[in-house]
Amino acid sequence: MRWRESSKPRSGLSGEPMVWITAMGLTVGLVMVVSLLGLILINGVTAFWPKRVVYLELASESPARLAGAPILAGEVVKRQHKTAPAASQRQQVEWQLFVGNKESYGLSFRYVDIDDIVAQRYPEQAMSIERLEYGDAIGEPLALRIQGEDEWPSDSPGFADRLEHLVREVAARRREIKRLEHSAIGAINARMTQLRLQRRTLEREDAPSGAAAYLAIEDAMAPLQARYENLAAEARELRRLQDENQLVYRIPSGDEVILPLGQIVGYYFPNQLGFWNRLGLFAHNMWAFLSQEPREANTEGGVFPAIFGTFVMTVLMSMAVTPFGVLAAMYLREYAKQGVIVRTVRIAVNNLAGVPSIVFGVFGIGFFVYFVGGSIDELFFHDALPTPTFGTGGMIWASLTLALMTVPVVIVATEEALTAVPRGMREGSLACGASKWQTMQRIVLPASAPGILTGLILAMARGAGEVAPLMLVGVVKLAPTLPVDSVFPFIHLDRKFMHLGFHIFDLGFQSPDSEAAKPMVFATTLLLIALVMALNVGAIWIRDRLRRKYATGVF
Amino acid sequence: MAVAPAEPRVGSAGQFGTARSTLLIDRCMTWFITIGGLGVIIAVLGIFVFILSQILPLFQGASIQPLRTVSTGISDAKVLGVDEWTALPMIVNEDGVLSFVDLEGERGTFQADPAFQESRIFSAYVYDQQAQRVVFATTQGEFALVDVNYEPVYDGGTRTIVAHPEAGAFVALGQPGVPIAQVAYGDSGAQKLVAVLQDVDGAPQVHAALLEQKQTLLGTGKTVLKATYDLTPLLSGTPQMIGVTPQTANSVVVATTVGQVFYFYFEAGEDVDEVVLRQVFTPFQDLGQSAIASMDFVFGGVSLLFTNTEGASRVFSLFVPPDGDTRLFGQTKTLPPLPGAATFYAPSLRNKAFLIGTPSWLGLRYSTTASTRLEMDLSYDVSLARLSGKYDRVLALDTGGDLHVYRLSDPHPEAGMAALFGKVWYEGGQAPAYTWQSTGATDDFEPKLSMMPLIFGTLKGTFYAMMFAVPLALLAAMYTSQFLHSNLRTIVKPTMEIMASLPSVILGFLAALWLAPILETRVVSFVLIVMLVPAVALLMGYVWSSMPGTVTNRWVKPGYEFLAVFPLLALAAYGAWLLGPVVERWVFVVTDAATGERVADFRLWWVQIAGLSFEQRNSLVVGFIMGFAVIPIIFTIAEDALSNVPPELKAGSLALGASRWQTAMRIVLPTASAGIFSAMMIGLGRAVGETMIVLMATGNTPIVDWNIFSGMRTLSANIAVELPEAPQFGTLYRTLFLGAMLLFLMTFLINTLAELLRQHLREKYKTV
Repeated sequence: MRWRESSKPRSGLSGEPMVWITAMGLTVGLVMVVSLLGLILINGVTAFWPKRVVYLELASESPARLAGAPILAGEVVKRQHKTAPAASQRQQVEWQLFVGNKESYGLSFRYVDIDDIVAQRYPEQAMSIERLEYGDAIGEPLALRIQGEDEWPSDSPGFADRLEHLVREVAARRREIKRLEHSAIGAINARMTQLRLQRRTLEREDAPSGAAAYLAIEDAMAPLQARYENLAAEARELRRLQDENQLVYRIPSGDEVILPLGQIVGYYFPNQLGFWNRLGLFAHNMWAFLSQEPREANTEGGVFPAIFGTFVMTVLMSMAVTPFGVLAAMYLREYAKQGVIVRTVRIAVNNLAGVPSIVFGVFGIGFFVYFVGGSIDELFFHDALPTPTFGTGGMIWASLTLALMTVPVVIVATEEALTAVPRGMREGSLACGASKWQTMQRIVLPASAPGILTGLILAMARGAGEVAPLMLVGVVKLAPTLPVDSVFPFIHLDRKFMHLGFHIFDLGFQSPDSEAAKPMVFATTLLLIALVMALNVGAIWIRDRLRRKYATGVF
Repeated sequence: MAVAPAEPRVGSAGQFGTARSTLLIDRCMTWFITIGGLGVIIAVLGIFVFILSQILPLFQGASIQPLRTVSTGISDAKVLGVDEWTALPMIVNEDGVLSFVDLEGERGTFQADPAFQESRIFSAYVYDQQAQRVVFATTQGEFALVDVNYEPVYDGGTRTIVAHPEAGAFVALGQPGVPIAQVAYGDSGAQKLVAVLQDVDGAPQVHAALLEQKQTLLGTGKTVLKATYDLTPLLSGTPQMIGVTPQTANSVVVATTVGQVFYFYFEAGEDVDEVVLRQVFTPFQDLGQSAIASMDFVFGGVSLLFTNTEGASRVFSLFVPPDGDTRLFGQTKTLPPLPGAATFYAPSLRNKAFLIGTPSWLGLRYSTTASTRLEMDLSYDVSLARLSGKYDRVLALDTGGDLHVYRLSDPHPEAGMAALFGKVWYEGGQAPAYTWQSTGATDDFEPKLSMMPLIFGTLKGTFYAMMFAVPLALLAAMYTSQFLHSNLRTIVKPTMEIMASLPSVILGFLAALWLAPILETRVVSFVLIVMLVPAVALLMGYVWSSMPGTVTNRWVKPGYEFLAVFPLLALAAYGAWLLGPVVERWVFVVTDAATGERVADFRLWWVQIAGLSFEQRNSLVVGFIMGFAVIPIIFTIAEDALSNVPPELKAGSLALGASRWQTAMRIVLPTASAGIFSAMMIGLGRAVGETMIVLMATGNTPIVDWNIFSGMRTLSANIAVELPEAPQFGTLYRTLFLGAMLLFLMTFLINTLAELLRQHLREKYKTV
């Protein structure tokens, strides 16, 4: 090793310190990636983790007191150094508490200076209630008021079981109401809307009033109306039952609150939970997030419609982009005469992949929505005008816009895959007497399929994460119906839909209480990142497998 | 096992031929793929054509088509009016006879009687198209308001426009018994202002009257006279022309024979309004011919159009001068000259367009952009002209009494190169400026659609992003390709590439809701980190490389430096983070204007010392977060370019005794420079078009300044903000398409350039 030492030039000349600067570049880049992912992972996961509820006794002069109440309770969300406003002041630590009970306090979060805290305790009885409205409630249960029975005080023996039983009953009833209102009544509504449109068509065609056609419509309407009334009455009765029984609890500021059980989505005693209980609750919360519909301006509940919308849109986009992309790539690589023109076209197509997505959105709204959609409305949905059917943003236009945006990705990937098929394979096939198409069909396309798939997955990843063009062509913050359901024709391409990416934008920027929405945003972000990363990793995996396959399988 | 010897086969033509179905299918598929592939490519490239087709109308002038000519037989017309449907124009002749011309039905030209309360001889008229009212002035020094009262009547499916003209009472104004030579009228709804010019024994006088219309629960009530004013004593010279601000009804302008203009303002007082002479100016002072030939208000009542007898035309607008506190007239525009003295004028009620002409020439001008929308020579002499309320018809009444009706098609008069890319002096502004403001609260609001603030915002965001991303990405690429141990490269590269797949909405959300609030209070820390981290890395490099190789090689093998440097950098960053507030308290101390206390706050310091604004969502945040989107792109492409440099070159350099840094700098970098440049270009293209990050992490204010602590509005964010609300085929809609087109062209050109460079590079290596 001696020669190495002696041959080493002086550091200034060799530029060795500069190597360290470049090393810094890489380090900073890696730290940025890792810390960003870590930040989202931690924040996204802790959003589901049940936290303990702390009861704080505050000093009498504390500005954090709510209406003068000495006790402030909640989940500690953040511990931070207060930024000193004046030059003289020293730094202080403050806690941010999620206090819940929004309808009583008028706010959800409160900052507490730790110097103001006289005492803190974690009462076993503290209860966290997830409600349909006003977010979570935090308090201590006092009693159950059940119709036709005596009051059940919270310290009576069967209280916990009874409450659990009732909440389960309420949840079952809520599902039933939803089934009635969405599926059953929804189907009747769809049928009635159809009949109304038929009547409008008749009116437009100046059919004489009292004609048989009118009577037929009336005949069809009457039983529907009756069925509708029945179902509506049934739903009303169930709703009444929901509010029959009540839970009485005391919120930390001392007031007693009576909550109809129908409002309760779930409840738990955060200070009684062990680690495994917490883990169970964590899993439950996560499942609820994935499977439920959003509530309260999207800040509570789940994101199921957004997941579903993203999924359907991505599938439709893939269905549109694959045949066209592959066709164009096959033409460019295999059929077109290679020359200046094809090279130019290839560069142009490649560069379209770098054109900003919003430009495709602009094209989508101008061409698909207004031009194509408007024409479809004129031709086939004339009766519904001026309410647009296809002449407004919708699932199909969003999918097509994104398909157009990702077509260059698929073309480039497919071309690369086609080029990668060894010449020997083609020549072998042609030498055996196969026609060009037979060679393509049996030899080239199967061999390049993984490459094409990689391109498709990359396109899907790009499509799933894109928001800007969707904002123009059909994404909404809250869609009342899913794009696929049990009402004929089952797939509603004209419907607007929800999307995970837009959900993040909407929650973060258009929700009334962005602080309260933060856990939801982080959770949604985590979900979207997981989705996009899974697609990307899948694409990389397929690419690697493909490489290995060809590395060994050379003719 | 015995095998029977194969019999020699005899080849037949059919055996070696291909089945016809195979050939047919092959031909079909060839056609299918060719047509389909070409179709897809054409469709994809058709995006450009479609967007172009949407924006072309912005740059087109107006067009006009003759519809019909109606003979009215009225050759002494004084007023030409028109209803909002252009169905029943109205003509008042010299004697005050009111006639209507039916353009839709069979009624022809007929007279209508407004039923004046007394019979008078009329001497002057003025028409207010917006209020549909004609002021009749008499030879006795009186005037009366006549409401035209147009009304649509529906009978079955057909619509007929009818008018019930209705005269108000005569109001005396000025010298009794003296004929009124000119009358001017302004109407703001509640207040009406009438000005008259009388020739009293060769000495013209100007008088004005304020009228008030009480608003009652049942609608508009009676019009009552509030006060009259004699403006003559305030004037010097001989008054020749008068005007009243049409929509505001609070000012009178008087032009004298020597070309001086007097601007009177009626200030609201407790009982009576007081008249104030605000300004005297001479529009054509610098020209030989300073006398004024015409003086008319453009729609909105803020701009006055003056022409002189030689055809020079200028627009004076009301604005608060930099050193004043009241709005005064100042010249804002010079319009193309007319062929002669203007004889007729008609403003549009939709925009700042107006018709003007000499008898045999007609021009349609747009005041804001000082542009000519349309010009035509006529085969007849026009006495009066009118633009319809919907800005879709031009009416011209010739001296022989023929009414010529034209269809006007001018959907985007406020657009054009000058308005979209040039500085425009908008009404109320102190100087020409690049302004983007597409919507406003009032009816006479004028959309300001300059693309320049948006282009500037795009460049600003891109600039700050590149400032941050380029050094980092290139350093990282250099290290990864040249110095990093090859075992690690397979891990490092995909990790950096993951960053490229992060949806930008996530980056935007983090920028706005997580980073911006932190950075707001920690600017100093951030700046310190940016300075300290490279310094520490450099220091570390010096210390390390001056140590003997036996020490260094034991601890850190070449190719692993980035791991060794990590703890140090983390320490440096944390130190800088803690040091930030300390430095802030030490250096950035200012007096808070609100409380008077001495506080250490960089935000206040920046505002006070630099005189620039400080916003929470600023360019620093955007630059930093957009770096996440740009770094992986530059990194990947630059790394590829550096790695693809032929190993012989490197080997040769190292063999000649160059150090690895010297090899990297002198051999590898120059060889790969084109590839690195192309990487930067593609990164630039991505930053230019980025939408969600800038939409979320800036305030989206279309301002033009380079301040790093203020926001911006980019072309892409502008589209996302405004397009959902823009009415189809409106000027805003097309302007947003223009923004998309600019983005398209910018990124397409940048990427093409990068691609060509890369191909050039590839060719170069082939020869090496």
